[in-house]
Amino acid sequence: MSAFRRAAVIAGYEWRRALAKKKVLALVILAVLFETLPFILLSGVAPAFITEEVKVTMWVFGALSGQSLFIQLVAMIIAGGSMAEEYEQGTADIMLSKPIKKVEYLAGKFLGGFLLLAFVEAIMVVLGIIFAFAFFGPQRDLLFVPLVFLAIFYSTLVFFSLAFMFGEVFRRSTLSILATFGILIVSSIASTFLSLLYQQSLMGGAPNQFYLDASRWFPTWSATSFPSLLISDLIKWQQNPFLFVTGTGNPLQFRTSGDVQLAAIMIGVYSLVFILIAAVRVVKSDVTKKVA
Amino acid sequence: MSHSIISVSNLSKFYGDFKALDSVSFTVDKGWVYGYLGPNGAGKTTTIRTLLGLLRPDEGEVQIASINPHKDPVQALRIVGYAPELPNLQTFFSAEEMLDFMGKMFGLSSQARKERVTQLLVLVGLKEQGKKKIGNYSKGMVQRLSVALALINDPLVLIMDEPTIGMDPEATVHFRDLFLELSKKGRTIFISSHLLDEVQRICTHVGMINRGKIVLSGPLAQVLEAFTQQWVIEAELKEATPEIVSVLRNLEYVQDVKVEGNKLRIELKEKKDFRGEISSEIFKHKGVLLGLNLHKITLEDAYLQALRGGQQG
Repeated sequence: MSAFRRAAVIAGYEWRRALAKKKVLALVILAVLFETLPFILLSGVAPAFITEEVKVTMWVFGALSGQSLFIQLVAMIIAGGSMAEEYEQGTADIMLSKPIKKVEYLAGKFLGGFLLLAFVEAIMVVLGIIFAFAFFGPQRDLLFVPLVFLAIFYSTLVFFSLAFMFGEVFRRSTLSILATFGILIVSSIASTFLSLLYQQSLMGGAPNQFYLDASRWFPTWSATSFPSLLISDLIKWQQNPFLFVTGTGNPLQFRTSGDVQLAAIMIGVYSLVFILIAAVRVVKSDVTKKVA
Repeated sequence: MSHSIISVSNLSKFYGDFKALDSVSFTVDKGWVYGYLGPNGAGKTTTIRTLLGLLRPDEGEVQIASINPHKDPVQALRIVGYAPELPNLQTFFSAEEMLDFMGKMFGLSSQARKERVTQLLVLVGLKEQGKKKIGNYSKGMVQRLSVALALINDPLVLIMDEPTIGMDPEATVHFRDLFLELSKKGRTIFISSHLLDEVQRICTHVGMINRGKIVLSGPLAQVLEAFTQQWVIEAELKEATPEIVSVLRNLEYVQDVKVEGNKLRIELKEKKDFRGEISSEIFKHKGVLLGLNLHKITLEDAYLQALRGGQQG
């Protein structure tokens, strides 16, 4: 049996394990609610606020609305428990006493969890499109749907990998999720604060580029802004008034020409570092017994 | 080293400052049933978990079929079946699903898995409960399933940590017979157990660990022989008269005779069965013999002696 096949067996197991937990089903239900409520509110409360140009691209809002926070939380919950729960429940012993390399096991767990997250994301994107049609009529630029989905998928790698890494390092699921959530919040606040400092320096007539650059080094910026930045390039969506909900502040506010590439690279670098730390930890350490 | 199925060489393992294993060395050859004994916390489970690649050795090396499981777990563990002590199984699976999943991990084909799952559920007496979620199983049922899981790949080496713990007496006998049958088929069995009587019944070889050190290792018969200081014959008479006691004490092969009511404890100078000679002497002096037993050392006696003295067998 090849290494890929062994990892695929674990990925299939990870799906099965996650779906057996009621919290994942609860997340799918929440995803449906998360998609439905904003459309109901927007169509009922502020129809006059939405221009015709915005109406025809409301599917983008639907697809991105959950991306900044909700899907990151789902990523944390799935990834934070992926490795950690096996140690907590003592099932890691059974799995790792079989003919499989620890790296293959880790890869399978990561892949299975990430594909499950992609499934939840797909539900949200599809629902976003359906509700956009239902509440605001025909939509345009739908050929970009796969790209939007892939952009969201890629952007969730950062906090998924971080929670996954913490799960392996701490081997406690709740601690991993809380630590990742803490980093998301701190990173988000710090990034926004630095943007505000840049804005102030801009208004004072002496723009300090360091504030803007530093605000983008935090993982939240790339993880939450990448899809919005990419889509705005594709369909010239700058005019949508609801864009602020899709990123840290408004990701397009101070955008420069290389932002999409920078965000893509930062997602890749952060994710790679987190995955490598998890891999080193799993390979170099003992398999701990069930937590009493 | 290369002729052994299991080889542990100068293995040491630390948990912080605590030395859980201290230069442990032993080998297990093909076809042996090796009983690994020791009190709680002696290092039995640590040894097993290191053998399976779950714990990294701080010093020394372990090998299964000449392959280091830490370097190549895929090759080393494909011939191994492992039943842990008090297994923590995935409770969302049914027994059928769990066995099927383990079959997949060993790369068995769909057809092979289907046949093997049915066969094993019958073997461990869980056929009727095969579709029931493991979360609803009793401790004994989980233990039975754990043995079935260890057998999914028809392993050449079966490593079991307290396999019959939590099982009822009937199941214990059933599984003991199963292990003996596997041994007859040439399978190597490494079994850690507190049940010394069980170990004595099925093991060909034993090793004993205490405080992280091997204190005894070898073929069961040799180990028992090494711990037998003196053979003793226990005789029960209708009446132990002073005349009979005196006659027995004066026999050239008798060391001493201790009297306790109508029972005599006859300590012999040689490791030889003198029951025939002793019964003749008793009859000759009008004694009425109610019972006569040659008291041989049990594994439990050897175990306790080894723990007290740390004797190397």
